[in-house]
Amino acid sequence: MIRSHLLNMVVFSALVAVFFAFLTQRGTRDRLRVILILGGSMVVLSLVLAYVMYPFPLR
Amino acid sequence: MSETLAEQTIPKARSAAAPFAACFLAWLVPGLGHFYLGKKVRAAVFFVVVGATFALGIASDGAASLIEERQPLTFLATFDNVALGTFDLIGRYLTYGTIVYALPGNEADPRRAELLDRLRARVRSVTFEYGNTFLLTAGLMNILLILDAFDIATGRKD
Repeated sequence: MIRSHLLNMVVFSALVAVFFAFLTQRGTRDRLRVILILGGSMVVLSLVLAYVMYPFPLR
Repeated sequence: MSETLAEQTIPKARSAAAPFAACFLAWLVPGLGHFYLGKKVRAAVFFVVVGATFALGIASDGAASLIEERQPLTFLATFDNVALGTFDLIGRYLTYGTIVYALPGNEADPRRAELLDRLRARVRSVTFEYGNTFLLTAGLMNILLILDAFDIATGRKD
């Protein structure tokens, strides 16, 4: 069981990216591109969003 | 000439039942629909990816959803879980110790209390939300795989 939120997010992003790469693309190069762009953007955008939300209080 | 005829008759013979068989197999085991349609690499990848997502969900104390009439969203969540086919049966057995889909409506029913106890044991886990997210995502992935298998079987996609 993974307790780290970041690691969970990275693993989740990787699984979703591989899934959509094989679902939507046919060539190896195209699949790799989708994995990198989709997986990378999921992680990076989540971190950016988390950083933007940081000043806001939970309650 | 005979080879040409064979080439022409095989797709016709397969086209009638293939979409439904592919959808059923895709529902039964993630990737099996694609394997049936001859897409073996994709089938293996989908089996591993959806299987890993499901396994992480169960390992992170995610729980298969139960239908509760007073909470309409539980219908959607349960439908999503059921889309995993045999994986859902495994998930339900590991969550509740039996195959069950709905919470008994009668609050005095001891079966309801037993199911809620098992569910609460998972909800108390730190990783419950991660687990549920993985489980629901695995279900959504398999719904897309069923639709994809249908498209391939009907010739809309290769």
